[in-house]
Amino acid sequence: MPDKPYEFLEHTADICVRIYGKDLPEIFINAARAMFEVLAEKREGIRLPQTSIDVTLTGGAREELLINWLNELLYLYSTKEIVFSDYQIRRLTGEELEAAVAGESTASYIIKTEIKAATYHELTIEQSPGGLQAQVIFDV
Amino acid sequence: MSNIWEGPLEKIDDYRWRIPKSYKQGMRVDGIIYADEKLLKDIRHDRAAEQVANVAFLPGIVQASMGMPDIHWGFGFPIGGVAATDIENGGVISPGGVGYDINCGVRLMKTNLEFRDIQDKLDDLVCALFNDVPAGVGTKGDIRVSAREEKDILMKGAGWAVAKGYGAAEDLEYTEEHGAIPGADPDAVSDRAYERGKAQSGTLGSGNHFLEIQVIDQLYSRDACDTFGLFEGQVVLMIHSGSRGFGYQVCDDYIKTMMHSLRKYDIHIPDRQLVCAPVNSPEGKRYLGAMRCAANYAWANRQCLMYLARGAFARVLGKSWEELGMYLIYDVAHNIAKIETHTVDGQQKKLCVHRKGATRAFGPGHPAVPERYKNIGQPVIIPGDMGRNSYLLVGTQQAMDETFGSTCHGAGRLKSRSEAARTVKYDTLLKELSSKGIIVKASGRGTIVEEAPQAYKDVNDVVDVVHNAGISKRVCRMRPVGVIKG
Repeated sequence: MPDKPYEFLEHTADICVRIYGKDLPEIFINAARAMFEVLAEKREGIRLPQTSIDVTLTGGAREELLINWLNELLYLYSTKEIVFSDYQIRRLTGEELEAAVAGESTASYIIKTEIKAATYHELTIEQSPGGLQAQVIFDV
Repeated sequence: MSNIWEGPLEKIDDYRWRIPKSYKQGMRVDGIIYADEKLLKDIRHDRAAEQVANVAFLPGIVQASMGMPDIHWGFGFPIGGVAATDIENGGVISPGGVGYDINCGVRLMKTNLEFRDIQDKLDDLVCALFNDVPAGVGTKGDIRVSAREEKDILMKGAGWAVAKGYGAAEDLEYTEEHGAIPGADPDAVSDRAYERGKAQSGTLGSGNHFLEIQVIDQLYSRDACDTFGLFEGQVVLMIHSGSRGFGYQVCDDYIKTMMHSLRKYDIHIPDRQLVCAPVNSPEGKRYLGAMRCAANYAWANRQCLMYLARGAFARVLGKSWEELGMYLIYDVAHNIAKIETHTVDGQQKKLCVHRKGATRAFGPGHPAVPERYKNIGQPVIIPGDMGRNSYLLVGTQQAMDETFGSTCHGAGRLKSRSEAARTVKYDTLLKELSSKGIIVKASGRGTIVEEAPQAYKDVNDVVDVVHNAGISKRVCRMRPVGVIKG
């Protein structure tokens, strides 16, 4: 059973991530971590105060909710200029999510890649021996 | 699961291959892929051909679901996909058929300079461009707009920029749609898209967006080169950029909206990413209105980028851009949906033409072609990848007859991004480019290695196919000498 939270897979033009977690909240958090790893690298020796934002989302099914979650974080990152690193999921059903997300300003980071969006392409969330496993492809 | 596609590809001729509609239950038309045997081997290595077959499910699709020779796996539509739907007969519009980067496109400017005139100043020119044209992920442009002006940009596109003094009126004549599609609907754009676009006007973006100083190294058509005012050894400038976060957000918003349209309009598609709605539905109309805003935003962006590039050259060379002859040859979109009239089965029909990673290529005589180019056809600009050739082509009557006036957009990706990052070493790459006399300035190591030439199919092969298939004709070839990448 893989004990890493995520790994990157081959894909022709975009970035494909496989995410592991014991339950749905962990999948959502690890997916977000994977996305921000693609996006940015923390600068050494800089620590800025964190900003926290509440997120409330709905979706037709948990897959849709996952994509909405990632794209919401992307939207907040580009408009508020925060790289998120702390996640507290307060409520997560198949159709609703409430969370608090926090992170430092992009000034603490080297921005590596632009992600256009998390896509529905080959999106899966399924049972696995360790709990759950998901796959998301990011359009870069 | 193997990535090799094993589906049927029936040879029509050396450059055309058919996926029969019998391949998959639900295909309304055949798939047609433009490629030669060599490219076909690569094409079978990802599942782009399956996507061509999936697009054939779209309600109202006419003639064929097409793939250009630079085709590769995208989401829903393959990149390099062309499909047209009949608006009067329930034809749909699909955001995946446009892409996230709405009106990602390219413009080509000429100069009256020969390469030897600027060779010893090349480094200065590249630095000036890198300095003056904001590049890199998340950078903010120096061209700031107020909230009131935002809507103006979305309606007037490049025209907004020209009115502000960022260019000449003549630039608009040599831009597809004169730099703005009519019928843009700023109210169909979400607040989120406005927010995401706000800081980014006049910036270059990242990934495969770039600014390149090039030299024409081969002429193919004397007539066309004379019409465009081109000669061997001439310095030209290419700008490749899109609608940035604004476009991505519009796409995302409408993919979400149209998820609900599928049930509402009883549409059955094999891939969720092919979400769509009838063009004539409220959802379809709103997406079209919002997409046009993003397209116009991208044209305003490219106009601004050209203005900044003209300024950089003027500064270094000590002459005005007019004195340097830095006139726009043409600007084309390659991620867009257009409402156009085409002949299908002998009848004139109003179609919604999706070109995703594909370029409009109207033939001689078409009303949309600038007056001065009418007897030659619409210019088609094909950016190659870093370190390799780019091309200028023209559209043809054959394209009008076969592909709704469409052709390829550039070389398709061959190596995956992670594979490219692994196998291409940064220093080796720079040495290789430098040995070819190419100066590269980029804002991030990652982007150079990911965009290394080995990561792409050979653009020469791609252009060979469209030329030999007759859907566009070669005019000249350019080689890069200076590259500025986000």
